[in-house]
Formats: sequence, structure tokens, C-alpha cells
Amino acid sequence: MDFRRSDQPAEHGIRPVTTKILIAGGFGAGKTTLVASISEIRPLRTEEELSDRSVGVDDIAGVERKTTTTVAMDFGRISFRSDLVLYLFGTPGQERFWFMWDELAYGALGAVVLADTRRLADCFAAIDYFERHGTPFVVAVNCFDQAPRYAPDDVRIALRLDPGVPVVLCDARERESVKRVLMVLVRLVLDLALVQPERVEAARPAR
Amino acid sequence: MTAPRDSWLDRAAGPVVRPYAMTKGRTLPSDGTASFGLIDLVLATGQRPPEGFRLSPEHRRILSVSRSPVTVVDVASDLDLPVGVVRVLLGDLSEHGLVSIRPARPGPVTDARLLRDVLDGLQAL
Repeated sequence: MDFRRSDQPAEHGIRPVTTKILIAGGFGAGKTTLVASISEIRPLRTEEELSDRSVGVDDIAGVERKTTTTVAMDFGRISFRSDLVLYLFGTPGQERFWFMWDELAYGALGAVVLADTRRLADCFAAIDYFERHGTPFVVAVNCFDQAPRYAPDDVRIALRLDPGVPVVLCDARERESVKRVLMVLVRLVLDLALVQPERVEAARPAR
Repeated sequence: MTAPRDSWLDRAAGPVVRPYAMTKGRTLPSDGTASFGLIDLVLATGQRPPEGFRLSPEHRRILSVSRSPVTVVDVASDLDLPVGVVRVLLGDLSEHGLVSIRPARPGPVTDARLLRDVLDGLQAL
């Protein structure tokens, strides 16, 4: 990719480093709650062209030209300092928005898959996606008041997770709990970076 | 077949100006080399628009919010415009040297110092 003007120094203002974490999981698993617990949440509209994967879901009969569909989503922003900003993107839950995941996942630090023990199967698709794309992720079991409690290892077995994938129990409404989940993810990614230095080299952007 | 031309325009039709009207129907930035990731940073360069390039109100709003560095998603959220529309408008501004774009790091994120900074930042929340 050619970014012609990216190498020029900024004439004014500090340019912060930006990074992002995806929050995935089934509909109603608590993604928006989690993002709102820890960050300044903002609305976002995207207007996406219908791709092959989504055609057949939206009725486009009689529309001859390419068409677009509007996807409303939220994102969260955490400014740690003036020069470091973390964005949290909740992934659209519906299958017809799968085509947006590639863009959301590109360059992401990692992902949190939020699981509801009453509907564990809802997060299979997200786990499958992150496994296939090599995106580091943690599974956070959102402990709803009325849901049965399971030990993390039972959830691991039920989801057939790789031993390296952390499973943590959390309460998406609690800031401290969400903070802990994000820290488990960042530690995982840091460990990966330290044990796989070649991954560092391969991924270093051209300057 | 002499139906009134505007019979399909009514209140139920919603806003008459669709988002891509602001981009003159373009759905991709005209500058083929530009790519605006969601968390890429936009900064107005402060240069004057070249002759022959007329800024639309939306172009002006983008220049206004990008006086200090701002991400593409924040521009879209600030202006309440779809990201796709913002990308086209950014393409115009970038092509004429009115904004500079600094792409976010491509993945995977493996910079140990950045990761430690994020960890410390979360810890301190």
C-alpha cells in the first residue's frame, strides 16, 4: 500500500498511537454492555455494499444495480494518555454482516469472545473465525444472574478450545471485571510477541 | 405512461438526499492508492484548497474536526455519516493535500512496548 503523505511529520499536535480490540459473541451476550462499562461509547454508521455473502438475506429483487445496506454499530474509545488510544469494536452479531469482520479484525490487537452459558453455541462462529485468522482471543463467560454457573474448564471443554486460549468468568456490567478480561487478552498477546520474535519481524510495518 | 414524475417521493420515502449524494454517487475514494482504515489518523494539513477544487460543507466539517489528529471512525461518528461516505470525502481531501493520513499499524500487533503500555493503561483505569 502506498500512503504518500504518511511519512511527513505532523506540523501540529501529537499523533497518538491507535489500537483496537474486537468484542464478539452472540446476540444478547452483553457486547454493548461490556464496551459501555469501560469506555466512552459512540454510535457509528457504516454503509456497506451487499456482497455475495449477504445477498439472499436482504431482498434485492428488482434492484438492478449494486446496493448498500446500513449497519449501525457502537464502538468504545479509551484514551490512556494523549498518545495512546484503544478502540473497542463490538462485532455485528447477525450473520449477514460477516463481511464486515475482515475489516474490523485487520490490525486488531486481539478479540474477546463473550459467551452466555445458556446459549454457548452462539459463540462458535466467532471462535471459528478467530482461530482461522490467527487472531489472539480470550473467551469471557458473562455470568448473567439467572444463568447456571460453570467452571472455566467446563466451558473450555464444551467449546473445544485450544489449551492456550484463556477462559475467564466476568460480569460485563462491572468495570473492574471488564478491565481484568482485557488485561488477560493483552497479556496473552504480549506473551505471544515475546515467545515468537519472528512474528514481530514479519509484522513490522515498512517505514 | 404519464405518471407524475415525483409520485415516488413522499414522506415514507425517507430523506431525499441519500448519503452517497454527498459524494456525487461515488462509493470508493477517487485516489486509488488511498485506503482509510477505521483507526487510521487524519490530520488537516492547513493548506489552502487548490484552485478548481470546491469544498462541500461535509469537506469543511471534516477539515474542522481534523485540526488535531482524529481517527476515521471518530470523524464518521462526529459527523454522523456512514464510514463509506467519510472515506470518499477523505479521498478528495487527501488527493488535494488538505489532510494527511497516518495508517494504524497493520496486524498482528507484536510491539511489546505498545502492549505493555496498553496493559499499564488498563491497570491504571
